[in-house]
Amino acid sequence: MSEKDIRIGAYVCYCGGNISDVVDCEQVAETLRGLPNVVVVRTDLSMCSDAGQSLIEEDIKEKGVNRVVVGACAPSLHEVTFRKAVARAGLNPYLYHHVCLREQDSWVHQSNPDEATAKAGRLMLAGIAKARMLEQLDTIRLEAEQHALVIGGGIAGLRTAWDAAQRGIRVTLIEKSPFLGGHMAQLETIFPTGENARQALHELIEKVVSHFLVTVYTNAELTSARGYMGDFRVTITAQPRGVAEDFAHFDEAAAACPVEVPDDFNYGLTTRKAIYLRYPDAIPNTPAIDWKACTRCGECKKVNGTGIDLDGKPQTIDLTVGAVVVATGFQPYQPREGEFGYGQFPEVVTLPQMIRLMTMQEGNGKLTWNGHPVNNIALIHCVGSREIPGVHEPQEDGRVNDYCSRICCTATLQMTNELHERFPYINLFDLHEDIRTYSRGHEDIYTEASKNGVRFLRFHGDERPEVTAAPPDDTSPLLVRVKDYLTWGKELEVPADLVVLATGMMPNPVSDIVKLLKITEGNDRFLLEVHPKLQPVETAVPGVILAGTAQGPMNIQETCSAASAAAAKVGVLLGQGQVSLEPFVARVNHDLCDGSGQCVAVCAYEDAIALEPVLVDGKTVQKAVVSPANCVGCGVCVSVCPNHAIDVQGWTLEQYEAMVDAITADLPKLEVVE
Amino acid sequence: MNSRPDPNESENPMNTPDLKVDALVVGGGIAGMQSALDLADQGYRVALVEKEASIGGKMIMLSKVFPTLDCCSCITTPKMSAVAHHDNITLLTTCDVQALHTNGNGGYTAKVQQNPRYIDADACTGCRQCEYVCPIDLPASYDLDMGATRAIRVPFSTAVPQKAIIDIEHCLLCGKCEKACPTDAVDFSQQPFTFNIETNAVVLATGFQTTPTDAKREYGGGKLLNVIDALSMERLLAPTGPYGHILRPSDGKEPESIAYVQCAGSRDQSLGVPYCSRVCCMYAIKQAMLLSGALPMADITIYYMDIRTFGKGYEQFYQNAKAMGIEFVHGKVARIDEDSEHNPVIRVETIENGRIAERTHDLVVLSVGMLPGENLGPIFDVQPADDGFAAIPDPTLSPSATGHPGVFVTGTASGPMDIVDSIIMAGAAAAQAAAYLETMRSSVAAGPTAIPEVAHV
Ligand SMILES: Cc1cc2nc3c(=O)[nH]c(=O)nc-3n(C[C@H](O)[C@H](O)[C@H](O)COP(=O)(O)OP(=O)(O)OC[C@H]3O[C@@H](n4cnc5c(N)ncnc54)[C@H](O)[C@@H]3O)c2cc1C
Ligand SMILES: Cc1cc2nc3c(=O)[nH]c(=O)nc-3n(C[C@H](O)[C@H](O)[C@H](O)COP(=O)(O)OP(=O)(O)OC[C@H]3O[C@@H](n4cnc5c(N)ncnc54)[C@H](O)[C@@H]3O)c2cc1C
Repeated sequence: MSEKDIRIGAYVCYCGGNISDVVDCEQVAETLRGLPNVVVVRTDLSMCSDAGQSLIEEDIKEKGVNRVVVGACAPSLHEVTFRKAVARAGLNPYLYHHVCLREQDSWVHQSNPDEATAKAGRLMLAGIAKARMLEQLDTIRLEAEQHALVIGGGIAGLRTAWDAAQRGIRVTLIEKSPFLGGHMAQLETIFPTGENARQALHELIEKVVSHFLVTVYTNAELTSARGYMGDFRVTITAQPRGVAEDFAHFDEAAAACPVEVPDDFNYGLTTRKAIYLRYPDAIPNTPAIDWKACTRCGECKKVNGTGIDLDGKPQTIDLTVGAVVVATGFQPYQPREGEFGYGQFPEVVTLPQMIRLMTMQEGNGKLTWNGHPVNNIALIHCVGSREIPGVHEPQEDGRVNDYCSRICCTATLQMTNELHERFPYINLFDLHEDIRTYSRGHEDIYTEASKNGVRFLRFHGDERPEVTAAPPDDTSPLLVRVKDYLTWGKELEVPADLVVLATGMMPNPVSDIVKLLKITEGNDRFLLEVHPKLQPVETAVPGVILAGTAQGPMNIQETCSAASAAAAKVGVLLGQGQVSLEPFVARVNHDLCDGSGQCVAVCAYEDAIALEPVLVDGKTVQKAVVSPANCVGCGVCVSVCPNHAIDVQGWTLEQYEAMVDAITADLPKLEVVE
Repeated sequence: MNSRPDPNESENPMNTPDLKVDALVVGGGIAGMQSALDLADQGYRVALVEKEASIGGKMIMLSKVFPTLDCCSCITTPKMSAVAHHDNITLLTTCDVQALHTNGNGGYTAKVQQNPRYIDADACTGCRQCEYVCPIDLPASYDLDMGATRAIRVPFSTAVPQKAIIDIEHCLLCGKCEKACPTDAVDFSQQPFTFNIETNAVVLATGFQTTPTDAKREYGGGKLLNVIDALSMERLLAPTGPYGHILRPSDGKEPESIAYVQCAGSRDQSLGVPYCSRVCCMYAIKQAMLLSGALPMADITIYYMDIRTFGKGYEQFYQNAKAMGIEFVHGKVARIDEDSEHNPVIRVETIENGRIAERTHDLVVLSVGMLPGENLGPIFDVQPADDGFAAIPDPTLSPSATGHPGVFVTGTASGPMDIVDSIIMAGAAAAQAAAYLETMRSSVAAGPTAIPEVAHV
């Protein structure tokens, strides 16, 4: 197309005030009118609305606009929206350029509207300069493997696997530990329904493992990953279980095992052997060897020669999958030594420990702990949650947990209700900042606790309670000191035979997965979604999806919703057997390429660019060839090519130069802003 | 829901072609739109039925939305547009589902009535010439009666579809619009007509309503001029709002002292609403922040029982608001009166010091709660639970499944929740509807096809 046939439509969006409250959009539009090739200039309250998009479509159809530039929010929000509008009007969607006037201008220059307006003008001019050089591009369409890898066998991973398999997508689910179920298996009666946790969990596990499209590997982790949406090549490494499925002498073998380690199922309240079942009806119901603990002494083998193999080797499984779902879950916050007396006084336990402790108490008679009768219990909320930077001690990484863990309030009150039911004589003290029983049925649990006579005390976040040893002649071993704002700031001392710390949620450590999949963590260390409303379960890496508490604190119901939403995304990506990728990838001009291979040397992505034999004038020579599916368009190769033979499509050097020229040009019209 | 269609009921007087789809989504708020998109993007054919003249639900009325403070239109309008343009979605506005029957094949037949716009929707271009000539001024319901609109109108500036509708109750039939319309789209002769939608799955996303402003008499809502509800404040704050400024109703003055009364309609046994509405803490904090931007000199106070900022990033949002100087007062507001200048006077027991205080503000905003929207019992046989929202048989593991196979409920129809949670739940309903569609399709063909290489299970 010759220069004079280029007809640009330029649109400046008010963004409902987000831009126009700072930038004088009308003035920006004014500076664009009459520029070479610019045939339409418009402003609108909301270009992304249907009406706004229709303006573009009409201008393309009726005014012959063949390049479109919109100045609006960040391209991550609505570049695709406008490309689709351009395509609907029959124009190639890549003849569109998006200028960011919000995040890069109005939001950051609020105190300086004149300069912001001038900047908006320059950014638009640069966009228009680029638009003159835009060319038609096609998305890269690839076959998609209708197979998803789900990482994590907690309720989140299980629910995603079930929905995806039912949808017709093959699923491989890997669980790092030898048993399925995650933390839900460690719960008993769950809020708000009062169901038994393991019963509900086991029903789902049974369905998942027997679904013909699902393969489950326990003791398995992701050890390598490459590729892209639709075609990830992953390697799974599965540790041997050490025990055969039909092994029938577990009790004897465990009795013979001389190794005793804290039982993490009971959060260290009890111990177990190196050969173990997580709990009697754990799934799979075959015992496993805890390889970290096992000394390979062979005592267990002596009870029955066959069925135990202490010399098994890890197996690796290579798979091609179209999408990866990360459902690696959470871990309860582990209080520091001495934090609220934890680790210092045996009478201080965490809420997860308390849930386990309750199962170890026989019947409904008297609650005892550490050999002592328990008459007073203090439960302290927000341990490891809602911490204040500068007030609370940071963790090793220098950060505090400044977020709300959202499950602890209801779980704590549910615990008081259970305590009251089983041990009605116990005095219960609930120490909180706010009570957050926000969800359906949760407020009833709070009401019940109030009716049960739980005594509520309320502290300020920067004045947390202190747990101290009681004077020797007191009946209870501990005193909890608190400044209580329900009694107008009085300093109170609560006697306690047991202190329960409502510990919050932290993400499971998954730095290896973060690295392998190139996804990101947020400031709260949980895995980060692209946008909470636009792409709530997607990561910045196409095809890598989040499910459950790996993304943030959630209860089981919320985890299941999030996991199903992840399955919906898997369905969207893979359901039709094809994926399309953006065409912004490197392109080599073989007339200029001399096959020096410098681009190949610097490329950080596997199989993205390589030297290959190419026939030139009857001779075979080495030239750089790009594999578009593996290229991410980072442009490093462009920068090292000695012959300027490489460009990133849609972002060529020429286009950049034109933009820079436009930004740095003298703009008399914009200098004086009255 | 009856199992057998009544032959007389299913007749189709207008002879409109009946529709056959994979999934029927009822309700075009954010939840319904997202479910429709998540199904359509998987290749399923979807009919989205909305009773109003535009999709968008309550969300399109909001100003900016927490926690990201995105302008609400920036999130909503593109989704509305995507629904309208999706090849797999048939959008049906001004439609009511009147009956739903099982069709005997695992699917359902919905009888739908389309109510007339009195506009030929194919001809209307949304140019609004009709609106300019219409002599009838009416309070704009979209602006909660604060602005004005006409008897013929495009519902609001970002409505989808951009088609006019006539409010026939208030229309004088003067015919001015008919003359003004450049495409002859006005048609006073339109009648309601019914048609059937054959579908395999149904997603109910009929939403919520807010507590009526006058529900709690002690708070004077509806009576005291300068006591408004939070949805009205959303409109005042919205760039598309009625005045373009924050003005208080009694005298049009810019308020210098604004108070929020939390739990005005939630956690209140006396109103029969014992539950927490989940969104009010966050929207009050959001509005307080936006007000500090719009009225930098104003004092803003939030009276609360508990601050429940439980979502991802929400606690940090709350702490930011405190750092901005917004005052949080822990106390239950007992009643609100007004002085001789219509300034609301709040009587509150402040819990921190146990005193009863009276504090005068220029404007009070009631943080009204979420009440159930449509009762889904009569037509869809999805019965309300005690709290009035749809009863969910297995809320822990299947939060969007109803007792009827293939019928799902999502968004605020299944309990109070914010936009983030509505969108997640919409995805969940879509996933389960898709799973249902596939199992229906392949229930015959299914069988084990693969023997895993190394399966520990
Ligand atoms: C004290 C307490 C009480 C609670 N009570 C309730 C209640 O009553 N009701 C309720 O609704 N919710 C309750 N919850 C919340 C509930 O436990 C969670 O919502 C739920 O367990 C989250 O499930 P998940 O699958 O996201 O994570 P998890 O249960 O943590 O599962 C994650 C799984 O992934 C595996 N994994 C981790 N890393 C890897 C890796 N790299 N590779 C492979 N696998 C990996 C883990 O081994 C684990 O099996 C409670 C939580 C706590 C702490
Ligand atoms: C004052 C206020 C401020 C808020 N601010 C925020 C915020 O900043 N951030 C945030 O995340 N959330 C916010 N919320 C919450 C948010 O509004 C809701 O989460 C969201 O709108 C719920 O969407 P929905 O689709 O479930 O329901 P709705 O928006 O109610 O949509 C339901 C739709 O279904 C239609 N419908 C109903 N019955 C039928 C029927 N029988 N047939 C056909 N159609 C039917 C309705 O007309 C409507 O279009 C706020 C709420 C309020 C009250």
